[in-house]
Amino acid sequence: MAKRQKRFEVLAERAVNEDGFIKEWIDVGLVAMDSPNDPSASIKIENGKVAEMDGKRREDFDMIDTWIADHTIDTAVAEEAMALDSLKIARMLVDINVPRAEIVRLSVGMTPAKYVDVLKKMNVVELMMAMQKLRPRRTPSNQAHVTNVKDTPALLAADAAEGAYRGFSEIETTVGVVRYAPMNALSLLVGGQVGRPGVLAQCAVEEALELTMGMRGLTHYAETVSVYGTEQVFVDGDDTPWSKAFLASAYASRGLKMRFTSGTGSEVQMGYAEGKSMLYLEIRCVMITKGAGVQGLQNGSISVVGVPGAVPSGVRAMLAENVATVLNDMEVASGNDQTFTHSPIRNTARMLMQFLPGTDFIFSGYSAVPNYDNMFAGSTHDVDDYDDMLVLQRDLQVDMSLRPVREDDVIAVRNKAARALQAVFNELRLPPITDEEVDAATYAHGTKDMGDRNIAEDLRAIDEFMQRGTTGLDVVRALAKHGFNDVAESVLNMLKGKVSGDYLHTSAIFDENFNVVAAINDLNDYEGPGTGYRLEGERWELLKDIRAAIDPEDV
Amino acid sequence: MAQSKEMNISPDVIAEAVKRAMAALGQESAKGVAANNLNGTLDAQRDYPLAEKRPDLVKSASGLALKDITLDKAVSGEIGFDDVKIRPETLEYQAQIAESIHRPKIAANLRRAAEMTQIPDERLLEMYGMLRPYRCTKQELLDLANDLETKYQARICAGFVREACDVYEKRNRLKR
Amino acid sequence: MNISEDMVKEIILEVFQQMQGADAPAANQVAQAAPLQFREIGEAKPGTDRNEVVIGLPPAFGTAMTQTIIHIPHRDVLKEVMAGIEEEGLKARLVRVNRTADVGFIAHEAAKLSGSGIGIGTISRGTTVIHQRDLQPLQNLELFSQSPLVERETFRAIGRNAAQYAKGEHPNPVPVRNDPMARPKYQGLAALLHNKETQYVKPDMASTEMTVQL
Repeated sequence: MAKRQKRFEVLAERAVNEDGFIKEWIDVGLVAMDSPNDPSASIKIENGKVAEMDGKRREDFDMIDTWIADHTIDTAVAEEAMALDSLKIARMLVDINVPRAEIVRLSVGMTPAKYVDVLKKMNVVELMMAMQKLRPRRTPSNQAHVTNVKDTPALLAADAAEGAYRGFSEIETTVGVVRYAPMNALSLLVGGQVGRPGVLAQCAVEEALELTMGMRGLTHYAETVSVYGTEQVFVDGDDTPWSKAFLASAYASRGLKMRFTSGTGSEVQMGYAEGKSMLYLEIRCVMITKGAGVQGLQNGSISVVGVPGAVPSGVRAMLAENVATVLNDMEVASGNDQTFTHSPIRNTARMLMQFLPGTDFIFSGYSAVPNYDNMFAGSTHDVDDYDDMLVLQRDLQVDMSLRPVREDDVIAVRNKAARALQAVFNELRLPPITDEEVDAATYAHGTKDMGDRNIAEDLRAIDEFMQRGTTGLDVVRALAKHGFNDVAESVLNMLKGKVSGDYLHTSAIFDENFNVVAAINDLNDYEGPGTGYRLEGERWELLKDIRAAIDPEDV
Repeated sequence: MAQSKEMNISPDVIAEAVKRAMAALGQESAKGVAANNLNGTLDAQRDYPLAEKRPDLVKSASGLALKDITLDKAVSGEIGFDDVKIRPETLEYQAQIAESIHRPKIAANLRRAAEMTQIPDERLLEMYGMLRPYRCTKQELLDLANDLETKYQARICAGFVREACDVYEKRNRLKR
Repeated sequence: MNISEDMVKEIILEVFQQMQGADAPAANQVAQAAPLQFREIGEAKPGTDRNEVVIGLPPAFGTAMTQTIIHIPHRDVLKEVMAGIEEEGLKARLVRVNRTADVGFIAHEAAKLSGSGIGIGTISRGTTVIHQRDLQPLQNLELFSQSPLVERETFRAIGRNAAQYAKGEHPNPVPVRNDPMARPKYQGLAALLHNKETQYVKPDMASTEMTVQL
């Protein structure tokens, strides 16, 4: 162009214009919610079995159709639910006079195409209303990522502790280098309990290794157990609905909570979406999860967010998939966990979709480390955004599960976590954490303030640690031996949580006294104004008291 | 435990005997034990959470009650990892809780899990691997199902593997 | 200091080449890199030479697609990886994995065919995995999942590390880079590229042994 218009020059420099946007490519499924290739909803039941679903006869079913037909759809209500007009169901979802229980009763009779047909009719405000009403746990909560680019343990423990202390009820780690996984898990196990007793910790790695760590009592739950919406992609993910469901039961058999993970866009990203919309394929994932008897699902595109994020109505589709999950009476860990845009405006707008109605885990998770240390390739919001989040809670009187904290308290809790882990390393014959590392981790912003460890030595020690068969009980002993009795007690209490199995249920978390809070004893009872979870009373007093606020008495 | 001294039986002996009895109970089918309880089923409103409302029912795999799993015992080495494992009865109770709030799929998952408590870690991981695509021939999967049934009394899981085998065969996902 | 005319010439030439190299990506924004000259030898068989590392490539690599997501020509990708392997005194062997475009499975196939049990899988946009025969397909020794962050030096280091694993050594993993902004910028494009890649997959075809003229 010969001469630029100056406003256009400024606009070209705006963050949002660094994002990648692509036009819909329907043939391969680069389309969010509405593809002409999506099937029309239908069902035929013969002799108590699904004979036809969404226009396909049983003999033509692929693996996923078969799973959904045989394990998910409740044939006793299918004909009733499918006979209802989709628009009517959509209206029921936002109607405060139709209780959650009635909707959940019917939803198990719907086919994937029916779900899409219902959700397509709703705008984002209506979808948020449905979320507010249908999320299983009455009290919303939040999850954090705790990782770093060096896999350095003292910092992981300190960050886990601070995250737990600030209010996250689940913390999740993963690795830079895969073989570090058990050490990272250990760092969260110890650090998390220092920050807030009862916090649940996980380590997201390859399926078999993840389960092994859980069996040893090094983690409390699992989440990154991925399912996909086309058979080819499922198999490329090296699993089937049967292997994944078997794995789910294996977790429960060791008393471990777990949820599956899926998300719009994963099938097209892996190259086999069969021309279907991202939402249609994601609904299949939601229904696979339901059929497996898994209590919950992490979705909202997750690691593929750049794909729906690049096409029209993609952010709406991510909310719709969260709603599909709770509509199936499952816990939702609702995304907002991956860098999605260069634009702070776009970033926050996307997050409001889950924050305003409240979900079981609004972020899954929020980066409790600086984004440069986030080994899930960055979350939407990180440690530098904490104060903004506290103000948003205060502005809107909406609970994100974060509380205002004092600097000296955070320093204390970070330091204790690093020291506790130092003691555990010493006792479990892992390469020592030096006093300098403890100090650095206490005051660090991130790994830029941490030295390097001897990676080869760490990895050798980790292999031996696993070969020795070290368990969570050894961690309890190590902590007690070095005087960290309160932390030892907490780690032990988490092991006891696995004995009772109470936290295997839908949307379960623990409070600081190890009482389980689940969608049974804390079932969502929203039925319009004056009902459901309200940010008020003591909790509201706590959250509105931010550091920056000036006390009229003091002026 | 003063009276036990009078009878000249040490608390340790009693504890040991109880532990053995409980472990033996653990071998029984989970359903059988559950049937002895109340009206046969637990109820979410009345009995959940079990740890708080029905501590009488919650025992570890080795038969230890929750209140007996203490830090002192963990530190002294009196408690091993088996003492902090879930047992099949508990999973059956939790399945009943799930059913009572209309979550039959979760109940089914927990009942498969109850059976799997009897399978050692390594073997269970191996079984999961065998169910992954292209890992096994039809015969290998059928053998796995038989193994589940005969060796671990895992009838539900055995049926589940046979069902998978059938689907894998139809969809050409068996070992090539 | 004693600098000969030849040395000066050589330095100038080197700087010149580097400058051209640095300019190349921008110049290639539109233009595609040239396709590679592969020679197919036949069905790939498991190797017996413990001194080899197998590089596995998907069908579109160097043919239908010729550069990574950040415009590194596939010629350079192979040059760097092979040079890294050779620096460690080992041999590189090339295999085309026809049945999948999944980087994990390609790398695992390469490892299973490799006499040393170590394989590298690289797909067209640059995503790369170092794999070992006896691991699960979706495990890995090292994974470079963010294709926009895999640069020439990374490819060289990947070759070197793979060779060291093949010799039974325990190298420090190639430093993992992390750029949270790679996803919003590139992920949509990556999906587009991957859908092109998968169009060339032949699910029922065995892997092919190849050589290449670089």
